Amino acid sequence: MLSRVADDLYWFSRYLRRAENTARLVGVGSLLQLDLNRSVRFSWRPMIATVGAEDLFGACHPQAEDADILDFLLLDPRNPSSLRVSVEQARELLRGIRDALPQEVWEAVNALHLYIGAEGSKVLTRRYRVDFIHHVTDGCLKVGGLLQANVSRDIGFQFLRLGTAIEQADMTTRIIDAGASGLVTPRHEEDREAYQNMQWMAVLRSLAAYQMYRRHVRQRVSAAHALRFLLHNTEFPRSVLFCLVRLQRILPAMPPRPAVERALTRVTGLVRQADPAALAAGDPTAFMDEAQVYLGQLHQAIAESYFAG
Amino acid sequence: MDWTEYSTPSFDELIDPAGQPRPAARRLVEYLSGLSGRELAERQDAADVAARVMGITFTVYSDGRNVDRTLPFDLIPRIIDRREWERTEAGLVQRMQALNMFIGDIYGAQRIVRDKVFPAELLEHSVNFRSQCVGVRPPLDVWAHICGSDLVRDADGTLYALEDNLRIPSGVSYMLENRMVAKRVFPELFDTSAILPVDDYPSQLYDTLAALSPRPGDLPTIVLLTPGVFNSAYFEHAYLAQAMGIELVEGSDLFVADDDCTYMRTVYGPQRVDVIYRRVDDLFIDPEAFRPDSVLGVPGLIRSWRAGKVALANAPGAGVADDKVVFAYVPKMIRYYLDQEPILPNVPSYLCHDQDDRRYVLEHLDQLVVKPANESGGYGMLIGPRASREEREKFRALIQADPRNYMAQPTLSLSTAPIVTANGPAPRHIDLRPFILSRQDTCVTTGGLTRVAMTEGSLVVNSSQGGGAKDTWIVDLDEEGHG
Repeated sequence: MLSRVADDLYWFSRYLRRAENTARLVGVGSLLQLDLNRSVRFSWRPMIATVGAEDLFGACHPQAEDADILDFLLLDPRNPSSLRVSVEQARELLRGIRDALPQEVWEAVNALHLYIGAEGSKVLTRRYRVDFIHHVTDGCLKVGGLLQANVSRDIGFQFLRLGTAIEQADMTTRIIDAGASGLVTPRHEEDREAYQNMQWMAVLRSLAAYQMYRRHVRQRVSAAHALRFLLHNTEFPRSVLFCLVRLQRILPAMPPRPAVERALTRVTGLVRQADPAALAAGDPTAFMDEAQVYLGQLHQAIAESYFAG
Repeated sequence: MDWTEYSTPSFDELIDPAGQPRPAARRLVEYLSGLSGRELAERQDAADVAARVMGITFTVYSDGRNVDRTLPFDLIPRIIDRREWERTEAGLVQRMQALNMFIGDIYGAQRIVRDKVFPAELLEHSVNFRSQCVGVRPPLDVWAHICGSDLVRDADGTLYALEDNLRIPSGVSYMLENRMVAKRVFPELFDTSAILPVDDYPSQLYDTLAALSPRPGDLPTIVLLTPGVFNSAYFEHAYLAQAMGIELVEGSDLFVADDDCTYMRTVYGPQRVDVIYRRVDDLFIDPEAFRPDSVLGVPGLIRSWRAGKVALANAPGAGVADDKVVFAYVPKMIRYYLDQEPILPNVPSYLCHDQDDRRYVLEHLDQLVVKPANESGGYGMLIGPRASREEREKFRALIQADPRNYMAQPTLSLSTAPIVTANGPAPRHIDLRPFILSRQDTCVTTGGLTRVAMTEGSLVVNSSQGGGAKDTWIVDLDEEGHG
C-alpha cells in the first residue's frame, strides 16, 4: 500500500465523519431552538468554538447573526471545517484513490456533493433546515455503510477505520465542549438546572446517543451522567473511550510502530482517568482541549509512521 | 441496414468498388443487412451503455459529468483479412527492430552517422535528442518498449506507415474496451466468425516490463508512473495498472536514495522499485536531469536508471526517433541495420534539406502537406490543396529560410469504413494504431485501435478533434474464403 493512498484513505474517512458530525451538531441546535420558550436565550455561537474557528469567524463576520453562524458552519468555503468543505475534500481525495474503493462509494459521495451545491442555501430557512440535515447525515451514513459492506478488509481498510475512529473521538470532545459552553442561557436563575439538562439532552441527541443513553443509564439526563456516557461508555460507538478501544484493536492489523502505540496509550490513559462528576461540576473545556491535543499527537504519530514513507 | 446507397470515392475497408462486401467482411455485412433500423439503434444504445458502465470506473468527473471518456464508439467493426494483417505485422516488427537499433546507435557509436546514411546535422537539430542518454546501454538494448505506430491506407489500397509514437503512446485501453463492447453487442458473430482475440495485451505488457528488471529471478516490483488524475490519459493509466495488478504511482510516491536505487513510499516503509512504466514525458521525469521546475517527476531518477538500478519504459531519449524528419529515414535504417527491404512502406516523404526534394516540394506546394520536423499535434502544417495562395507563399518563404526544418508528404486520401448514421451506413475516413511491444522478441497487438473521423469528409481522426473509434477485427477466412 502506497503511503499516499493510505494517507488519502485516512483523510477521506475523517472528512466524511467530520461532515456528518457537523450536520448533526446544527441539526440538534435547530431542534433545541424549537423546544425553548421565551424565558431562555439560545445561542449558536458556542458551535463556532466547537470547530475551533473563533478567530476566523470573527474576521469573516464582525456582526454575527444566527444566519451567519449557520452559513459558516455548513456552507462557507472559507471555513476549512464547514460541511461543504469537508464533503468537497472527501470527494477530491477520492478522485485519486477511486480504484481502491468500490464505484458506488464515488457515486454516493458525488451525489452528496451535488446535493449540497444545489440545496445548501435551503438550510438558512428554518422550514427546510431539518430536511437538509437529514439528507446529509443519511448520505454520509450511506457511504459508511458501503465501506462496511463492500470493502475488502485489507491494509487500506484499516486506514479508513483509523480515520473514522480518531475523527469521532475528536468530534465527540468538541460537541461536549459546545454543550458545556452554554447553548442556552436562562433569564431566571431558578431555571438554570432544568435548562442545563435540556442542553445535555441536545448534546446526546447530536451524537445520536440519546436513545442509547436511556437504555444504558436509565436515569434522567444530567451533566455528570451524560459526560460519563459520552467519555467512558464502552458499548456506544461514538463515545470517546469506545473509539480509542477500537483504535487499539486496529493496530495489530497494521505494521507495528511504537510511536503510534505510545501516543494511543497516552490519550487512552487521559480519558480513562477523567472524573465525569468533577468535570460536570466545573468547566470541562480545559479537559476537552487537552484530549484534543493528545488526539492531535496521535494523528502526528500516525502521519509520521505511515504516510511519510 | 440497407447498403444500396453506400458508396465512397476512397478505398473502403468493408465494401469493394462494385458495392459487394470484401471477403473478410462478408458475414458481418450480411448480418447487418438483416437488422432493421430499430434493431440497429438498440444495439448502438446497448454499446453506449456498455461503454459507460465499463468506462465509468475510471472516468474523471467534473461536477458529476463525464469529462474523460468522450471517445465516440461506432458499432460497425473495421475488418482486416488475417493474411494481410500477418504481412503488416511482419512489417511493424521489422520497423521496430530497426528503430530500436537506431536509437541505441545514436546514443552509442553513431555508426549510421559515420557511414553517412543518416546526416549528423539532423541530430544536432533534434529537440528529442537527450545528451543525458549518451553512453547508456539499457537492458536488452531496447529503448522503445512500447510503440504506437499510425498506419493509413491510400486510394490504391496500399497500407503506409505515417508515424511512430515512441515516447508515451496512448489509446490501447480503448482498443481493449472497444472489444469488450463489441462482444456484448455482436455475440452471434463471435460465435460464427474466426475473430482473433486482443485481450492478451495486459499480460504481454506485463511480461515486457518484467523482462527489464535489474534483479532477474525475483518477482519484480513494477509500477506505472502517471502525471496524476488531471492528465487526459489518466483513465488509461488506471486501467492498465489495474489490468496488470501493479501500483499506480505519482512522482511524489517515489524517491531515489543514496544507493542509487529507486524506492516507493509505502506504509510498510520504502520498497524498492525495479521497473517503471512511465507515462510522464522525458522532460518532466527528473528535475535533476531535465526541467528543474517539474513537480511530476522523481529527482535522481535518471541517475538511478543510468546506474542500472531501475528500468524505465520507454527509455528516456527514445523520442529521438519520433520526429518527422527522422521518420523519413526508417526505410534506410531497415536496409542499414537489418540488411532487409522494408515490408511496410513509409508514406512518401520529401525532405527540404535535400536539394532535389526541396525543388519538388516548392514546385508542388498545392498538392502536398508540409510539416515542420519537430512539431506534433498537427501544429504549423500546410495542407496544400486546401490552403490559400498567400499561405502557400508564406510556406515557400519559410522553407527557403530553414529547409532543414521542413518535410512534405503527398495528401493521402485515407481509406473509409462505414459508420451507423440516422440515414443508414455512411463512409468515414479512418486510420489504424497498432501497438508494438519489444523485449527479447517483438510482438504486435492483433489489429490495434481504429480511429474514425466522425465528421463527413474530415481527415482528422484525433480524439481531441471529434474523432471516434471502432473495434478492429482480424478475421481468418474459412475454406470458402468467407470471414
